[in-house]
Amino acid sequence: MPVLSLNAARVAAAVRAPSAAPGWGLGALSGRLVELCALGPSARLSLLVGLLWEAQERGEPVAWVGPCTGACYPPDLAAAGLSLESLVTIRLQEPRAIARAAEHLARSGAFALIALDLPPGTNIPAPMLSRLSGLAQKHDTALVFLSEKSPGDPSLSSLISLRLQSGKHRVSEGRFACSFEAIKDKRRGPGWSHEAVHHGPAGLR
Amino acid sequence: MDRLACVDVPALPLQLLLRAHPDWRGHPVAVVAEEKPLAFIEWVNERAYRLNILSGMRYAAGLSISGDLRAGTVSESEINQAVSQVTDSLREFTPNIEPSSDEPGVFWLDASGLSGLFPSLQTWGEQIRAKLAREKLRASVAIGFSRFSTYALAKSRRTVALFEDPDAERAAAARVALSRLRFNTQTRDALRKLGIETVGQFLDLPAGGLLQRFGPEAKRLHDLASGSAWNPLQPRAAVEPLTGRMELGYPETDVVRLVFCFKRLLHPLLERLAEREQALWELALTLHFEDVSPKVERLRPAEPTLEVTQLLNLVHLRLEAMQLPGGVVELALETTGALASREQLRLYASRPRRDLAAATRALARIRAEFGEGVVVRPVLKEGHLPEASFSWEPLQSLTRVDVAAPHAPVLVRRILEKPMPLPLRDRREPEGWLLHDWRMGPVTKLDGPYEVSGGWWGGGVQRAYHFAETQRGDQLWLYYDVRRRRWFLHGVVE
Repeated sequence: MPVLSLNAARVAAAVRAPSAAPGWGLGALSGRLVELCALGPSARLSLLVGLLWEAQERGEPVAWVGPCTGACYPPDLAAAGLSLESLVTIRLQEPRAIARAAEHLARSGAFALIALDLPPGTNIPAPMLSRLSGLAQKHDTALVFLSEKSPGDPSLSSLISLRLQSGKHRVSEGRFACSFEAIKDKRRGPGWSHEAVHHGPAGLR
Repeated sequence: MDRLACVDVPALPLQLLLRAHPDWRGHPVAVVAEEKPLAFIEWVNERAYRLNILSGMRYAAGLSISGDLRAGTVSESEINQAVSQVTDSLREFTPNIEPSSDEPGVFWLDASGLSGLFPSLQTWGEQIRAKLAREKLRASVAIGFSRFSTYALAKSRRTVALFEDPDAERAAAARVALSRLRFNTQTRDALRKLGIETVGQFLDLPAGGLLQRFGPEAKRLHDLASGSAWNPLQPRAAVEPLTGRMELGYPETDVVRLVFCFKRLLHPLLERLAEREQALWELALTLHFEDVSPKVERLRPAEPTLEVTQLLNLVHLRLEAMQLPGGVVELALETTGALASREQLRLYASRPRRDLAAATRALARIRAEFGEGVVVRPVLKEGHLPEASFSWEPLQSLTRVDVAAPHAPVLVRRILEKPMPLPLRDRREPEGWLLHDWRMGPVTKLDGPYEVSGGWWGGGVQRAYHFAETQRGDQLWLYYDVRRRRWFLHGVVE
């Protein structure tokens, strides 16, 4: 293969976030309610950041809605390549308000991806989920709920189109295999998985 | 009295085709609508004309007459680009130029007030022809007083025609054959049957009745030629090239990261080009290095375009081939545009899928419902302590969205707003240290310490940060507060 073609492939790979699994990636998640779960060693944030980057790379707005008790560490987001300037962040006191704020964003049709960071034990009423599902389909928006639960726990709702269980394990010093497995997928069927190696922050060996 | 000139680049598409294929000179050549046997011939050169290969014929028919016929297409964007180039070249001679909107290749120039710059108008006209000849375009120039007369005279001459007297100009224009002008073929044939073959004979026709007998085009031309339709010069304004520059905080040698930096500069420039109804014709990259003089590279896509991916591929190929002599500390971009086709502008306008104004309205609704401080964006700061390394700043509206850098697969931490106090670590059982959730199991690995201090104006903070790995596999981000002699959980690596 000519050198320039190899380099062009390298650029193409660098331009796009790692989304090797066909069921993963912004295109595969658009228009759906997705639940990204973890209990224990998790890579939810790290894998979701790849999706946020993908949306921004396409010039599409993204938003993060969560409690003000904790958030993604912005220097790590910047290190991942995200544009902080265009990362809409909604920080709320009440966990129950997260879905309501997300509904405003989804109804605008202006966002390609909205992440809802749900504190443990947060439930979303069925009518609200129903509206969110309709808005996601109408505006081709990916609504990703981050929840803390084990694979045996029930999903947020039957309206969840894709449920992924995230995990992480060390492969070598400072490198971790971040993975998820689809335990529910209304489009492709469950059972598929995705794994990508991520580097730890400075100091994590 | 104001002087006006007309520059005619005859059969512009044909001249462009021959400029692109200089080896075709000496052969019969035609411009066809499409590269297909049944495509219509639009322009032919002298050799093809003498062989009776005419405009309006099918390409296959032309080939059957002469197997030596060379043919090619010239796109609308190439013609637009050539018109822009010629307009820019003519700006050396006068600031006011009006390219014809109906007939590419025809330009009207303001020839007034040039006596101080050029020895004479004759010299001025000859210099214009010489300039265009250097760009491999043949042109004729007519300098007179009226739009129509200069147009007709430029069309009928091959060199420079100068008229010092409006009457002489009018008389010369009256002798121009109608076949030299851009006339509807049917109308011209109808006039020829009536014995009307020159401009003067055409002007002798009564104005009333022209519209009904010969249509609106003939009426318009008659009005222009007779001077009853006043049409002042409408010059096209000179457009400054669009530029952007970026200072990098460090010498950059990675080509992929440089391409991303150029991407951030290129997006707003393409938007402004599209607002001008232009596409990018040439891109000039300037790379400033630390210890080496700057390098300028010029890139031209195959045709004017607004496609970012195509342009970045060209930038990437050029940077790869360049072999950077050092780290790049500053980048600059300069774009030159050419008229874009309607299709290019339509495709570019249809690209933005998301309405940023709607996003801004949604943010306003959220602020109204939940309070002013809830809609924020993170901003990095220079603080040493993790909580001082960023802040949340109010976000009022959303403008452009773009990434900052290539995606890097790194683990991201969740930082707690308030660090959580942890149980003391028993010195007698260092391996049995249980943190806040018993399900994690005890700590099995502790990386650190990484000393961080700050906030000296408030009494001072001194922390020893660690990464703790538990039996279950969680990675926790915690610190030992030296002053308070306590462990705190600051975040989790997710």
